[in-house]
Amino acid sequence: MSLYESNDKLGGGVGGDKQGTVVEKTAGPGPDGRPSQSLADRLRGTTANDARKTVTFGDGSAVVGNPLFSIGTVLILLILWFFSEALGLVDETFFPGPIKTWKEFVLVLTDGFQNVTLAEHVYWSLRRILLGFGIGVAVGIPIGLAMGLSNALRGIFDPLIELFRPVPPLAFIPLLILWFGIGETSKVVMLFFAAFFIMVISARAGVTGVRISKVHAAYSLGASKTQVLRSVILPNALPEIFVGMRVALGVCWGTLVAAELVGAQKGLGAMIWTARTFFRNGIVVFGIILIGLIGVLLDLGMRKLEERFIPWRGRG
Amino acid sequence: MSTNELQVDKLGMIYELPNGGSVEALRDVSFSLAEGRILTLLGPSGCGKTTLLNIVAGFLRQTSGDITLGGIPIDGPGQERGMVFQQGALFEWLTVEQNVGFGPRMNKMDPDGTRHKVNDLLATVGLAEFGEKAVYELSGGMQQRVALARSLANDPDLILMDEPLGALDALTREKMQGLILELWDRTAKTIILVTHSVEEALFLGDRLFVMAPRPGRIEREYDLPFARLGLTEDARELKNSTEFVEKREEILSLIWEMEEQIMGHEGA
Repeated sequence: MSLYESNDKLGGGVGGDKQGTVVEKTAGPGPDGRPSQSLADRLRGTTANDARKTVTFGDGSAVVGNPLFSIGTVLILLILWFFSEALGLVDETFFPGPIKTWKEFVLVLTDGFQNVTLAEHVYWSLRRILLGFGIGVAVGIPIGLAMGLSNALRGIFDPLIELFRPVPPLAFIPLLILWFGIGETSKVVMLFFAAFFIMVISARAGVTGVRISKVHAAYSLGASKTQVLRSVILPNALPEIFVGMRVALGVCWGTLVAAELVGAQKGLGAMIWTARTFFRNGIVVFGIILIGLIGVLLDLGMRKLEERFIPWRGRG
Repeated sequence: MSTNELQVDKLGMIYELPNGGSVEALRDVSFSLAEGRILTLLGPSGCGKTTLLNIVAGFLRQTSGDITLGGIPIDGPGQERGMVFQQGALFEWLTVEQNVGFGPRMNKMDPDGTRHKVNDLLATVGLAEFGEKAVYELSGGMQQRVALARSLANDPDLILMDEPLGALDALTREKMQGLILELWDRTAKTIILVTHSVEEALFLGDRLFVMAPRPGRIEREYDLPFARLGLTEDARELKNSTEFVEKREEILSLIWEMEEQIMGHEGA
């Protein structure tokens, strides 16, 4: 599951969780019974106990993002951007300044661009991704589960999955346009492919990763096959499935914007592509930032769902 | 003869290897275990003790011989045989009481009856206050208490324990040994327990099989007084008594001999 491992790191949040539990038990508690953590520590992203570690270089759990550095980076970039505009350091046709970009943003937000408002662009992008992703999840999970449970179904689906999984979803575009035209359907089907293969693999991994003693225990407690599936296999596979969903949503988002560069009037990808032909580079720049922000929000949302519905993740 | 006697007759188990060879995990294993006895299985790795337990549980089918519980042949897992595994077999997505109530729920027992039963069992294993906790919030020893309670929920005739205390620290392990004896006494269940620890096998088994490898078989059998005595006497004193220490040394040297034979065998 190396594909997901790097992604898992994102889920760790500030500081290693495991470290946190140990620290809580051994540290001298603060007034509220929790380990004391000064404001300076919190800003540095560390606890007082981290400061007592003598080995930090090479200790991954001691390396946490320092919010001060992060804020600094963003501020410095913004300041440089402002200065380059004020001093006219960069040719505006290549890269617009922040003020011009902001004006374009406000303009598109209120009046729209080519008779389409920003809200509409966002709406169409989200609609496509939720449809394609949703169907991919709904179809991919049962097939993945089936592949993890049955020799025959594993054999039937394996060659199809293994062959088409490495194909970038965008490669399907020519065929999809031929079959479905350049309308909504071809885009949704392509996003479906993007999500589908990831979901099949993660659901299958979720099933095959079940500790056999859990299954044995369930049968010994009188569970039928259906009950084992519903009460053991499925909940046991949920963490893996959720990781797959997070990855799939990210891949879908990236694929969607690329797909909208081809034959779409509405959607964020279409917006920045059309803006380019009209030399409205401000739109391109804020479009890129907006695409990034929405991507982050989608991932955050998935992570919140994960915390809410799978609190046992990684604790089996 | 009691009604729920376990009868094992000339049991054999041969694993086919992918390269065409085969391993004889069990040969000609025969014994009967009367209701209410507690049998411990001990032996070096590869002696077939876990294979034997898995056949009794119904997770594996023997290649030869017969096995019956209360006269009925064992063919597949069943709830008349409860299981306790080493850590990690609890359902971490369920609370403590949901874990213990899993069996009754699978049997569609009415919720009130289930709740009653679960509360009883949790009190028996000393977890009355912990029903609503998530299992991952509990210590290893407490998790094994949950596993014991869960295995009792369907009122099985026979409880099979596969190194149930193997992952616990020494102190917790001693405490849990006491709990197993207590449950055995209280419920009068038949128990088979696989362990790596000679001391544990001696202390918990009112019968003990020392098994030997290549082919897996019962090398020596003991009828022991310690499990009964452990119900009333101090465990530490018992384990330091002359009889206990003598038996322990006898079995240790027996197992050492086997280990050395295996090493010689493999030229290591």
